[in-house]
Amino acid sequence: MALILEVQDLVKQYPGAAEPAVNGVSFGIRRGEVFSLLGPNGAGKTTTIGMLSCLLKPTGGDAIVDGHSVRTDPEAVKRLIGIVPQDIALYPSLSARENLRFWGWMYGLGGKDLARRIDAILETVGLTDRGNDRVDSYSGGMKRRINIAAGLLHEPKLVFLDEPTVGIDPQSRRNILEMVKALNAQGMTVLYTTHYMEEAQELSQRIGIIDNGKLIALGTLDELTRLVGRQDEIELKIASEHAGPELAEALGKVKGVRSARSEDHTVRLVADDANASLPEVIGVANARGIKVIGIDVREPNLEAVFLHLTGRALRD
Amino acid sequence: MNKILAIAFKDNFVRFSSPGEWLFFLVLPVIFSVVIGLATGAQTDSRIALLVVDQDGGELARDLIDVLQDSKTVAVREYLLSEAEEKFRERQAPAMLVIPAGLAEAQAGGEEVELQFTEAAGNVDAVAARQAVQAALGSLGRALQAAGVSLTAAAEIRPFADQAARDAFFQDGKDKAAALFADQPERILVTGPAQKAEEDFWRPNTQASAGTIVTWVFIPLLAISEFFALERQLGTLRRMLSAPVSKAVYLLGTITGQLGTALLQMLILAGFGTLLLGVSWWHDLAATLTIFLAFGLASVAFGTMLGTFVKTQGQASGLSLALGMSMALLGGCWYPLELFPEFVQKAVLVLPTTWAMMGMNDIVLRGQGLAAVLPEAGALLGFAVVFFTVGVLRFRYE
Ligand SMILES: Nc1ncnc2c1ncn2[C@@H]1O[C@H](COP(=O)(O)OP(=O)(O)OP(=O)(O)O)[C@@H](O)[C@H]1O
Ligand SMILES: [Mg+2]
Repeated sequence: MALILEVQDLVKQYPGAAEPAVNGVSFGIRRGEVFSLLGPNGAGKTTTIGMLSCLLKPTGGDAIVDGHSVRTDPEAVKRLIGIVPQDIALYPSLSARENLRFWGWMYGLGGKDLARRIDAILETVGLTDRGNDRVDSYSGGMKRRINIAAGLLHEPKLVFLDEPTVGIDPQSRRNILEMVKALNAQGMTVLYTTHYMEEAQELSQRIGIIDNGKLIALGTLDELTRLVGRQDEIELKIASEHAGPELAEALGKVKGVRSARSEDHTVRLVADDANASLPEVIGVANARGIKVIGIDVREPNLEAVFLHLTGRALRD
Repeated sequence: MNKILAIAFKDNFVRFSSPGEWLFFLVLPVIFSVVIGLATGAQTDSRIALLVVDQDGGELARDLIDVLQDSKTVAVREYLLSEAEEKFRERQAPAMLVIPAGLAEAQAGGEEVELQFTEAAGNVDAVAARQAVQAALGSLGRALQAAGVSLTAAAEIRPFADQAARDAFFQDGKDKAAALFADQPERILVTGPAQKAEEDFWRPNTQASAGTIVTWVFIPLLAISEFFALERQLGTLRRMLSAPVSKAVYLLGTITGQLGTALLQMLILAGFGTLLLGVSWWHDLAATLTIFLAFGLASVAFGTMLGTFVKTQGQASGLSLALGMSMALLGGCWYPLELFPEFVQKAVLVLPTTWAMMGMNDIVLRGQGLAAVLPEAGALLGFAVVFFTVGVLRFRYE
């Protein structure tokens, strides 16, 4: 079986809500891959994870984890999956070790084996020397790391990480991203939700874009960016703001440049291939005596894909 | 480790990681019971309070009081007649002895005198007090014999209906006393007309000990609702239910943990009751354990039900305290139910705290055993079934 998780037309309608929070989502996750679910706040990511981890009863559809339905066989599903909730779910007045021991017990672990796993996971998240401190004495990033550790103790085949890097310092974020890659390299399959496109791009083999409860695109990064066409964005910063409109008009005629707009000290171009057009662009500016003080080139990214598909920016 | 036990241990770990919890678990209840006990006049000794009125003031009367004071059974409290009568009416003591003026003259060869002994009807303590008085009279035998003293005992709680009834009663007692006195001058026993124990007496120390246990165990058990709210708030409930842990295991674990701690707390507080207030909790261990367990189950079930109605931990703790306090008060934990108006006494039978107090009073006040507490234990288990059913049906993780 190539797919470890198969999501089939999943629907969740919260009582009293006008629209379903999840509205007919289908996708599959292959054994051993990192799959990202990318979407803005309120898109339905956590609700989807809730149904996949048997916490929420689907209003419609089903999901099959390694052959077991979340509807009819939740106990088997729960044993296979690990879940790292979006909000930290730990006992603040207990130490990290006590928390981990407790969650180990909840997965039926115990004794020497559990003690060994706790040592190993504390090492992995880099908190061995703080293990005996109460969790409420931890920084936000440290809490997040223990929150992840608690979901991995029982070495699940498939782990759901729900926005694990929200609101933390860059160092903890790096640590978490590296950890996800390392776990994946060891063979763990990961479903990762985020609203940071950089994370989805860096981590995942395939990405699903979710918005308003619907999966609006699905594929590899390449497949998705091809949706917007191969167009690069060039941003020129110029010294004089009065020269903007004139420069924009001139650059619009350069070969390979599709459009040009000016705005204060910036001129934005959309080009088929930034590398091919840049020399001529600079030449045009020089010929007019307009001083360029900065150049920024952006290849198509998920931001552009989202914008293309929804007409809205991913982040507000 | 068994998941139910793991949850039970974890809950108590979390609960007692806050130092304030020890205050509620042990410190406050002990202070509370001692204060209530002292305020209502409990002695730290377990002797029966005997109100004594010395209207004579002579040497023989003093001797009698001295002998009584040395008694192991009664603790003498001397008052003026009006004060003593009031305290007797308020049931602060089960018996009252009045030594009328004229004892000294009687000894010198005057009129015969009659000591008046008034006791609460159908009360074991009162009977014991009467026997202690009789024994004291016996030990002063010769002197008293010379004075021609007789003892009249009247079993009463309420004043006699009218003077005629009173006279008739005392006349009857006097005749019997005279008869007895004739052949057994040192042991005067007068039995009044048989009277049914309509109402229960109460003692400050048993009231304080049982009231403390019910109050201070009930409130934390209602606060089990805080655990449910807290787990929901912390998100740990989500995590728990996405692990292979069923709703039943989770509920059983939390309930077992708090019930176990509550039983331990009751035993410790009962121990303090024995130590500080001289209350007997241990003459029938099965009775004590039965009523403790039944009360614990009813309370924890009520807390579980409460937990399904509250949203936040703050709500839960406020509601537990408010409900716990008022139900303890109405259940007669702070003030004997017998002193409440009749209809209140009937109405509060809908509260588990009332049944718990009644069951515990069977043990500590009336000295009864397992058979006597079974009806109260049954009622408490009935409460437990109803509350658990509602709680479990309403329990949601969201
Ligand atoms: N328990 C609930 N009851 C009613 N509506 C809910 C509930 N939980 C979520 N919703 C609604 O469902 C929609 C999807 O929410 P969800 O939490 O799944 O989004 P999300 O993609 O995880 O967002 P975020 O990035 O903010 O975590 C939102 O409109 C939210 O308001
Ligand atoms: Mg979310």
